[in-house]
Amino acid sequence: MKINVFGDSISALVCAGCLAETGNQVTLVGHRDNERSEPGLAKLLDTQIDAGRLHVSNAFDIEAEYQIIALNPDQCLEGKQIALALAEGNHPERCIIIRANFTMGTSQRIAKLAKIPCIVNPDFASEGRAIQDFKRPDRIIIGCRNPLAQQQFKRLFAPFNRNRNVMIDMSPESAELTKYATNAMLATRISLMNELALASESLGADIEEVRQGIGLDKRIGPSYLYAGIGFGGTHFAKDLCRIHKIINPSDSKEGLLEAVIRINEQQKEALFRKFWQHFNCHIENKVVTLWGISYKPNSTSIEGAPSLELIKAFLNQGVTLQIFDPMLEVNFMIWLRENLSLEQQKRVEIISDMYEATENSDALCVVTEWQAFLSLDLEQLKANMNTPIILDGRNLYDKAWLTDNQFIYYGIGR
Amino acid sequence: MIETQAYSNLQRLSETMQTQHLKELFAQDPNRFDAFHLRMDGMLFDFSKQKVSTEVVDELLNLADEQQLESWIKRLFDGDRINHTESRAAWHTALRDVSEPRPEVAQQWRKLESLVNQIHQKQFRGYSGKPITDIINIGVGGSDLGPLMVTHALEQDRLACAPEVHFVSTLDARQLHTLLRHLDPATTLFVIASKSFTTIDTLSLAETAKEWLLQHAPNPQVVVNHFVGISTNPTKMTEWGIIPSQQLLFWDWVGGRFSLWSTIGFSIAVRLGMTGYNEMLAGAHAMDQHFKNTPFKQNIPVLLGLIGVWNTNFLNLSAQAILPYDSRLKYFASYLEQLEMESNGKSTRRDGSPVEYRTCPILWGEVGPNAQHAFYQLLHQGTERVMSDFILFSQWNSPSKRGSFHQNLNIANCLAQSRAMMIGESSEDRHKHYPGDQVSNTLLLKQLDAHHLGMLIALYEHKVFVQSVIWDINAFDQWGVELGKKLALNILGHIEEKSVEGLDSSTANLLKTIWKQHHEN
Repeated sequence: MKINVFGDSISALVCAGCLAETGNQVTLVGHRDNERSEPGLAKLLDTQIDAGRLHVSNAFDIEAEYQIIALNPDQCLEGKQIALALAEGNHPERCIIIRANFTMGTSQRIAKLAKIPCIVNPDFASEGRAIQDFKRPDRIIIGCRNPLAQQQFKRLFAPFNRNRNVMIDMSPESAELTKYATNAMLATRISLMNELALASESLGADIEEVRQGIGLDKRIGPSYLYAGIGFGGTHFAKDLCRIHKIINPSDSKEGLLEAVIRINEQQKEALFRKFWQHFNCHIENKVVTLWGISYKPNSTSIEGAPSLELIKAFLNQGVTLQIFDPMLEVNFMIWLRENLSLEQQKRVEIISDMYEATENSDALCVVTEWQAFLSLDLEQLKANMNTPIILDGRNLYDKAWLTDNQFIYYGIGR
Repeated sequence: MIETQAYSNLQRLSETMQTQHLKELFAQDPNRFDAFHLRMDGMLFDFSKQKVSTEVVDELLNLADEQQLESWIKRLFDGDRINHTESRAAWHTALRDVSEPRPEVAQQWRKLESLVNQIHQKQFRGYSGKPITDIINIGVGGSDLGPLMVTHALEQDRLACAPEVHFVSTLDARQLHTLLRHLDPATTLFVIASKSFTTIDTLSLAETAKEWLLQHAPNPQVVVNHFVGISTNPTKMTEWGIIPSQQLLFWDWVGGRFSLWSTIGFSIAVRLGMTGYNEMLAGAHAMDQHFKNTPFKQNIPVLLGLIGVWNTNFLNLSAQAILPYDSRLKYFASYLEQLEMESNGKSTRRDGSPVEYRTCPILWGEVGPNAQHAFYQLLHQGTERVMSDFILFSQWNSPSKRGSFHQNLNIANCLAQSRAMMIGESSEDRHKHYPGDQVSNTLLLKQLDAHHLGMLIALYEHKVFVQSVIWDINAFDQWGVELGKKLALNILGHIEEKSVEGLDSSTANLLKTIWKQHHEN
């Protein structure tokens, strides 16, 4: 089948690659300069291009049976322009599949402009495991009112629905809201856990034990129950703001999601506060090590990352920072330049060895849960550090083990 | 003043003027407005509804010359020690000299800016490490009224990143306790504003604030983070426990009621940001330049002051009403009460001799539309002859239809009231008879923003100064407030010792009754 995939996002690249792999003729209408940060993506694209099933182009085939729009969330306007161009083809028997996370109602406007049936099929994949999530999705949502288009869609996605049927039909409005609601639900769980972590600290409980305790309850389940220093990422916070704007003018004025966002923002500075309190507000000229900058492991994405808030907080109080991250890229350098004064930039040192970054340090902040951080060389840390303080933003370590080894340990909620 | 030639001439002119009804003046000259208004950029001063003639204005200008107003203005701007009873300058104009700032002033602006930026960037932190969300300004008099009045007036220009600002001044601590009940100690910053840093009102409240923090903070040493001090006295601030990086300074040449232009304006800068704060200074500086450089005949503060003198000393009016037609100027009248009555409420000339003429009238006021339903009855039909200042802004920020309707309604009311006071209305029914003939000024400003508010405040400051020169009094001391403070300390001693020995029978019996009631409770 002939398919156009519009977009440069990881979502677009993954979609184009995976659909080509299942034997379709796919044109990626966009560029492929995003694939490096997604595991396996470059290889997937290369293989499909070599096999002649995937083409990258600026032009698209108006005759293609499927037009998949996988633009970035802020490209609503481009989405509508594509719709206008498709309208000229006059092929009401074709269909548009919208995987982009546009604002609510955009898909309906696109369908109207294009005069072609439209299916809202939100992409739920998370960064870092996008290919896996595309091929073995938890569910495939088909937001469409046109039975013919539904059938067309099901044919295209059948290869990803073989193990058990995970396709669900619903209205386009429900499909759009489902995408937002998913992120709202996950974010709410995380912020609730962070609130409970505060309670744990004041009660002397350990949120890790509490997490295991509630996670075994089948009604709750174990995922997204980790207290920590908050979620980041491009889409999560944006989706929350959007759904908050949808909920607010509706009947509820209780501001639940606003609280979720606020809790998360406060949580990003949690390690700073622990350090600040440890030294009774006197932290000028201290040296702090940060392990991990990206908002999650195996990624270079720093948008909304807690590390950025920590960096600002520490530098504003006169602290010097020694930073290690296994995958730092130019985006972080640009961020430093744009957000810090020259004097502050001078107090940031990026170090390529994780232990070297702890030399003369007054505290080690573990910000991102990279695998490489899981086992600590305590002897080396102790030899390197000025004061053996470990601020564990992801509750990675056994508290007792560290305190037995004369480290001062601060986790989140324990 | 009374020995001048102009005074005698004005005396003579006042005899005929007093017999003239204001409405007759308008009837005699349909273009009366042309002769009796002044303009400067952003402001129009209409004094046509004053009982003045060209001769009166000319003689008032002669009076100013005979009283050497010009050289006094020069001395004011030069920073001479014109507050001679305290041997200090009254150099508030130097605080807003944005064209040629003094180095020590500019240095404090930089320190102010750095603190304000930290607060706006959410990097000014309390003991828990959370950013400050609320600021409580503790101060009395000039350390309270100026910032309170301005932040209230410019509420709509508040920056989104600005924290809440609260003002506490009364030594009964009720305002403070009400706030403390719902604020989070971890995110509350106290600003202790006191020129001498010895004022018992302010320091007693500061101690209560400190105690509240000590109850909540994990240890005593971290509470210092929650205090910013603003004073002329760094030693006292340090003794009290304000850390040097959080001390803002001003100087003994800044009078309390003229201090909002100094670092006392911290809470203004927090709300408006440095851009808004600087705009306010620039507006005041524009008025300073006008006052300093404009011939008296076209000089708004000079004429405003002289007309007040004419009304007080020649037409025998004894009260001044301040009537802003804008609810944002809710505290403006209170602010002027201090500025005018603390400055010129005096009966001793510069040389120490008693004055033989009236000085500052009783000044009060209220937002116009509210005052209409309160004391305008007295203005229209009472026995008192009163002078009024109407203050109106021509631009309004609401583009909506209802918004412009309300603006028109407000303008109509302001103009109607000053006209009604001027023209009156006859009726055979005495209850419905309006004598009119009440004089007023109207100040029409372009809009209520930091710049124009700066201009307006500076205008009144200079008006006060002009009058003090005519009356030959020192506008910049305030010895009248000292006796009460001294006696309060004495009575506090009696209360603590539970003794009434040596007190007059009124004070003694009031105290005894209070003690009895305490005992019964």
